[in-house]
Amino acid sequence: MIQQRVLTWLDERLDLSGLRHFIAEKRVPVHAHEVWYYLGGLTLFLFAVQVASGILLILYYRPSAEEAYESVQFIVTEVQFGWLVRNVHSWSANLLIAAAFAHFFSVFLLKSYRKPRELTWVTGVLLLFLMLAFGFSGYLLPWNELAFFATKVGTGMAGAVPLIGDWLMRFLRGGDDVTGATLSRFYGMHVAVLPALTTLLVAAHLLLVQRQGMSVPLDVERRARAGERVPEMPFFPNYILRDVLAWYVAIALLAALAALYPWELGRKADAFAPVPAGIRPEWYFLAVFHTLKLLPSHILGMEGEQVGVVVASAAAALLVLVPFLDRRSSDGKKSPLFTAVALFGFAYLLVFTLLGHYAD
Amino acid sequence: MRPHFRLTVFGAAVAFLGLAIGTAPAGAQEAAPNECAACHASLPDAAHAAPVAAFKEDVHQQRGFACVNCHGGDPTTADKDRAKRPESGYVGAPRGQAQIAVCSRCHSDAELMRRFAPRQRVDQEQEYASSVHGKRLAEGDTKVATCVSCHGAHGIRVVSDAKSPVFPTNVAGTCAACHADASHMEGYTLPDGSPLPVTQRDDYQKSVHFEALTTRNDLSAPTCNDCHGNHGAAPPGVGAVANVCGTCHAVFATKFEASVHQPIFDKGCIECHGNHAVVAPSPEMLGTAEPAVCVVCHGGDDDPGFAGAGRLRQDFDRLRGELARTTELIERARVAGMEVSDQELALGEVRNRLVLARTEMHAFTPDTVVPIVNEGIEQLVAIEGAGNEALAELSYRRRGLAMSLLAILLLVVALGMKIRRIDRRPHL
Amino acid sequence: MASDERTTSNTPVAAPPGDRVERRTFLDAILGFGFVSTAAAILYPVWRYLIPPASGEPATASAVAARLADVPPNSGRLFKFGSRPGLLVRGPDGELRAFSGVCTHLDCTVQYKADTSQVWCACHNGLYDLAGNVVSGPPPRPLERFAVNVRGEPGQEEIVVSRT
Repeated sequence: MIQQRVLTWLDERLDLSGLRHFIAEKRVPVHAHEVWYYLGGLTLFLFAVQVASGILLILYYRPSAEEAYESVQFIVTEVQFGWLVRNVHSWSANLLIAAAFAHFFSVFLLKSYRKPRELTWVTGVLLLFLMLAFGFSGYLLPWNELAFFATKVGTGMAGAVPLIGDWLMRFLRGGDDVTGATLSRFYGMHVAVLPALTTLLVAAHLLLVQRQGMSVPLDVERRARAGERVPEMPFFPNYILRDVLAWYVAIALLAALAALYPWELGRKADAFAPVPAGIRPEWYFLAVFHTLKLLPSHILGMEGEQVGVVVASAAAALLVLVPFLDRRSSDGKKSPLFTAVALFGFAYLLVFTLLGHYAD
Repeated sequence: MRPHFRLTVFGAAVAFLGLAIGTAPAGAQEAAPNECAACHASLPDAAHAAPVAAFKEDVHQQRGFACVNCHGGDPTTADKDRAKRPESGYVGAPRGQAQIAVCSRCHSDAELMRRFAPRQRVDQEQEYASSVHGKRLAEGDTKVATCVSCHGAHGIRVVSDAKSPVFPTNVAGTCAACHADASHMEGYTLPDGSPLPVTQRDDYQKSVHFEALTTRNDLSAPTCNDCHGNHGAAPPGVGAVANVCGTCHAVFATKFEASVHQPIFDKGCIECHGNHAVVAPSPEMLGTAEPAVCVVCHGGDDDPGFAGAGRLRQDFDRLRGELARTTELIERARVAGMEVSDQELALGEVRNRLVLARTEMHAFTPDTVVPIVNEGIEQLVAIEGAGNEALAELSYRRRGLAMSLLAILLLVVALGMKIRRIDRRPHL
Repeated sequence: MASDERTTSNTPVAAPPGDRVERRTFLDAILGFGFVSTAAAILYPVWRYLIPPASGEPATASAVAARLADVPPNSGRLFKFGSRPGLLVRGPDGELRAFSGVCTHLDCTVQYKADTSQVWCACHNGLYDLAGNVVSGPPPRPLERFAVNVRGEPGQEEIVVSRT
């Protein structure tokens, strides 16, 4: 068939035999926890949806304070299926971050970060941070009331970083206040800087996964070392079809969300209007936001907010270093401490997100 | 050549001197001695020294006038008695009619004024004579305002100067200097014998005219002189009020003049809107119950005016209520992300109807107001329909997406079955 | 699904070979159809999205007011500019001008008076000249001016009004 001829044509010039062999021979381990394998691919798929819908939005969006809101209004009212593209982009952003967190926690709990996969973990955690940056920068772009004030509060918290807080806040905002300069800056980040960084990190992350193969849980690894044969399935077509199934379920979920809970346009941001009551960031920042709100104004002589920001930054740094800190996993032993840390982290995020949502 | 040269130089010098003397402005005395100012400036008490300092800011001083032009006297001598001897024309500090005479000697002289301010009027003295102030002064009342009372004496500024006491935003304060002073106004009465009120300035500060003038910087908004006149200041008088208000509020005055209230209201517009404390009219002013102004005169079921007021109020309430509801509906649709700019445009037209209805109301016949209100209501019905359609479109999209959801789920099931099948295949 | 099933070759469930082939092809057909239709369901909106809509850009920035041929000298007409009215005037000198159609007094919609070549507001008799400045009446500020440009083929020119 035609695809055969195309492949042959390419093969004569590029020698695809290595690639073909790799795909044909690639195997995926089968065990009780294999279902978590699909989360990585799902995150990648949702990111691809974001890139595609984002590119479509760029064709009509105007990144200036005077025109941003009107251009989004134009997209959702005048452009054919613009409302659909916009809703998909907004919802998929949330699903993407949810999937990224799920992928992160599953890897954390299964200790897949242990030797030899430390770099995969490092690139992965950095990617998670990049996804959060995507979410934060993209949220401002419609330039409506909610986005404007959420950004004001969010960037204001950057001011709580000790020593460089004020500088950092000015750097993020492009000035002292949230203005059109902030919008330009966030737009540049969102469509150029962050995608570039993500591309590099995703390429590294995927290359590492392909090179090293899928990791297995510790007990399966022990059984393998004891001589037992670990069951496997071929990547193509068995695993890939399952991946595609998960992607279609994601598409169905996106369609349902876009239909049942469409994103509203809101009111255009007015810098001089008072902050609306109960302003909050999106759910993925709620836990940190609520924690900072609950902190007392002074702790051990430092401002409460400052302590919160320092602790959060320290936690983020430690997170990146987990594979290097967890010696036991690297040696193939059970590591209950890190399991506890992972569970605690999950519980903390869950509880504080809910608290942040339901508290007044 | 040489004799001619000397002659030329001499001729040029003479010509130059002649030019210098000839072109000196009449009354210009910058080079002339001004012992009045020199002596008065050195006096210890403020009453005598202040005028010299104040005069530096005076428009007359800037045009080249000096003390002698108004006060007379001899400016060349520093000796007080010689400077003020009667032969020198010294008039002292003129008061009352004498003051009027001093000012109008120039300001009523058209030829003179043409050289300094060609557009300025020269009939102020005439106008003043027709005013309440002028008439009382002629009867001997020295408490009334004269030129200096409003314009000042030595630091006179042009009217367009923001620091002038007769600049539009300052006029009310200038009038109030006397008219808000109860002890000064004691003894003066209204035509009906009751004491002349001193609350006008306080009332005026509650008005929309004051707000427009001071807060919104609209210098065309009226202050005391716009309704009472400048130099011919007097109350407009019975029957003339609507004309006065109508100089700006022309459309309302026209409708009012043709209405049933015109021959009945002595005080015209003031009957309902007040004279000094003219506040922004509200929907509550119209109706059959307090705080409506209609009930001051109207009442009872057999009073057609009372019924009319009731009808008018009902119609207005209906239009305003529907307008508010529909505006809220359209806003909801817009915030949700639907295209409603046509509806917003149409809502603007309905608001036009409301404004027109309020104008038409001043003809005081419900029959002319009702068609406008009904037009508005009709338009609102159409807008509401479109607004509901826009919101319905949202749920239509929902259903469309739900259908595609079904299709995807079917595919997912088929995919699941395929995976099962493939799993059962033997492979290496 | 038990892990072992996928690693050992199974003898198929007893069924005539012909049937098995048919069932497989039927499922494949459904799958193929499903993939194609979902792909179409995604690509069709994307395709429609990419085609520029009739109103080229957000109407709050610019709008087509009228065709040049429909606006004779010394005439004016209202047009929709975003969600507010605009007034397009062709003066007696033939020059095109565009203003906000909203009177600066109480937001009534203004109109063009051909007999005096002025812009008039029927609500309270406000009058503006062709520069938008207030001539008489209650309006406190001049009418907002918009930029006017003409584009298109000769004979079918369109008048485009924009905010700046």
